[in-house]
Amino acid sequence: MKIFDRLRPAVINGLRELQANKVRSLLSMSGIILGVASLVAMVTVVQGMVGNFRQFVDAMGGIEKIAVDRQSLPKEQEHLAELSEGMTLRDVEQIRATIPLIRNISPEVRVGYEKVVYEGHEAITLILGCTPDYLPVAKRWVDPEQGRFISDLDILHRTDVVVLGSSIAAELFPPNVDPLGKVIRVKGKRFVVVGLLNNIEGSGMQVRSANSKGGSGMWRWRNSGVYIPVSTATAKFTGNDHLTGLGLRIGDANDLQNTVDQLERSLLQMHNGLKDFNISTNEETLESFRKTESAFKLSLGGVAGISLFIGGIGIMNVMLASINERIREIGVRKAVGARGSDLFLQFLAEAAVISVMGGIIGLSVSMGIVWLMNFILIQAIPTQAVATLDWKIMAQGLGFSVIVGLVAGVYPALRAAKLDPIEALRHE
Amino acid sequence: MGSLFTIRGLRKAYHMGDETVHALDGVDLDFERGEYIAILGPSGSGKSTLMHILGFMDQPTEGSIVFEGEEVSSLSADRRAWYRSNRVGFVFQSFNLLPRLTVLENVALTLLYRDDSNRETNEAAAKFALERVGMSHRLDHRPSQLSGGERQRVAIARAIVGNPSIVFADEPTGNLDVKNVDRILDLLGSLLAEGITVVLVTHDLGVAAKARRVISMRAGKVQEDRQQ
Ligand SMILES: Nc1ncnc2c1ncn2[C@@H]1O[C@H](COP(=O)(O)OP(=O)(O)O)[C@@H](O)[C@H]1O
Ligand SMILES: [Mg+2]
Repeated sequence: MKIFDRLRPAVINGLRELQANKVRSLLSMSGIILGVASLVAMVTVVQGMVGNFRQFVDAMGGIEKIAVDRQSLPKEQEHLAELSEGMTLRDVEQIRATIPLIRNISPEVRVGYEKVVYEGHEAITLILGCTPDYLPVAKRWVDPEQGRFISDLDILHRTDVVVLGSSIAAELFPPNVDPLGKVIRVKGKRFVVVGLLNNIEGSGMQVRSANSKGGSGMWRWRNSGVYIPVSTATAKFTGNDHLTGLGLRIGDANDLQNTVDQLERSLLQMHNGLKDFNISTNEETLESFRKTESAFKLSLGGVAGISLFIGGIGIMNVMLASINERIREIGVRKAVGARGSDLFLQFLAEAAVISVMGGIIGLSVSMGIVWLMNFILIQAIPTQAVATLDWKIMAQGLGFSVIVGLVAGVYPALRAAKLDPIEALRHE
Repeated sequence: MGSLFTIRGLRKAYHMGDETVHALDGVDLDFERGEYIAILGPSGSGKSTLMHILGFMDQPTEGSIVFEGEEVSSLSADRRAWYRSNRVGFVFQSFNLLPRLTVLENVALTLLYRDDSNRETNEAAAKFALERVGMSHRLDHRPSQLSGGERQRVAIARAIVGNPSIVFADEPTGNLDVKNVDRILDLLGSLLAEGITVVLVTHDLGVAAKARRVISMRAGKVQEDRQQ
């Protein structure tokens, strides 16, 4: 309460000084303005980018996803080919039994790109045999009003049911026709549509995935899949019990490396030491994103840090100059009863007022920068705005400027506080 | 009336390299409440030094000062600030008004650093003090818009706004023309009626003649102390 009573006149006084020396104050603020503007704008843009990275990695199944794919044997093992029967459901059983870190396993049979037909509408798309575990592994779902996914019973009875991605459903069926319950032909065979998979929204980044065959954008692929029971796929189409891949999900990303090691050992053992599979994770992708992110943060944080530092020096400089000009004023204030602490507070408040003003101007500049960046990005990538200003970041930027102002103000304020009143009054 | 200051064996030495300047060299004085005192002496005789020490701006090297019954010769800086804020007022030769503040704010400044400072009561008291010196028609002016005599009247208002026991005026008429000199000296003299002790520091015999008691100083010592 008391400190507040002392602060109020100090702040008012600071505002007055600022008004009396507009140009000088603005110049002294320039560092803070630049620092806060770059800090806020850059953090905002980097956060926008990071958000997109996350979305992207998430769309690939997230960091907790492991993929096992069939691969041809390395040269030195080629002559041993018959020792391994390839990946089968027995591998799945073994993994389930021996690696408890793995929460879900989705055995997959990639039938390939085949023709699907509904009453004269046809399309060619990827046919995938899978189990109910596909959903948790791929982080997908079927909304209740959109039917259901493949069930354990479908696997058991090798039923002729199919679940469609949203874009393939839109391609095959006219808008007024409900696909659920309709019969379509997949590679010439009859299947009943029992569900539609959730639609994956196109994200900000139109990333082309190296994994997606045919060069189509990965988001499109993800909405145009055709899913049938894995047992139906082997019985009707591939004619053997080989899996083309496994999707696995672990509970905790920290177990990733550990799980990959166990998985490799287990699979090698099952396959009599033959390396006819390849284990991959999203870690590398994420890692490269992380590197980009931290490189950005480091360099931009450096720029902002240096500007704020220079801003602090600018404020200190102006405060020292201002105190030098006002030595007599300090003497007068002391003569009428001001303590050292009163003057300390007065000049600290003045420095804080300058830096807060600078911070506020800096925030408005940062709004301009973010707007401009979004404008440019929208020209380049027309899907969505990349960055939105977050009040938390703005508050942080302002907080930084206050801290810089206070730190920069301490030394000049101490000098003012320590001035001897008699000498100060004698000063010309 | 009662004793205001009892000063015994007061010394102030300044060390300039090897040299020591005895600005005050053993001063014994008693001030009563309500006195009108002139401290007279040539330049360098120690008048300002004495005023600074008695005005709680500075501390003596040696000696005792009893002010309103309390020994005050070695107080902390904050304690001295309290006395300046609550017990003494200063009037300077060069006015020393703050150019950025209005007349009213300049006068209220004295009350700003008190513990019970409050803007409204400060301003009310400042208005009252300005009325007292005949300057209430210039509340919102800046000091630069006033004449020298007017500025000194504002400075006197600032010195008395806090109801001090004593006002020190160091060559208060040094920068004024003849017409204003008398006016300012009369104004200072009129403070006695309110029980304020006035100490006029001057090297001008004519100015000193206005006071009832003249203390003549030379080389840091009291040479003569007479009532007139
Ligand atoms: N801060 C100081 N440092 C050194 N010497 C000083 C200081 N202040 C005053 N003096 C010396 O003390 C003596 C008395 O000075 P002062 O009290 O200002 O005299 P007056 O006011 O009578 O002209 C002078 O010789 C002056 O030079
Ligand atoms: Mg002097």
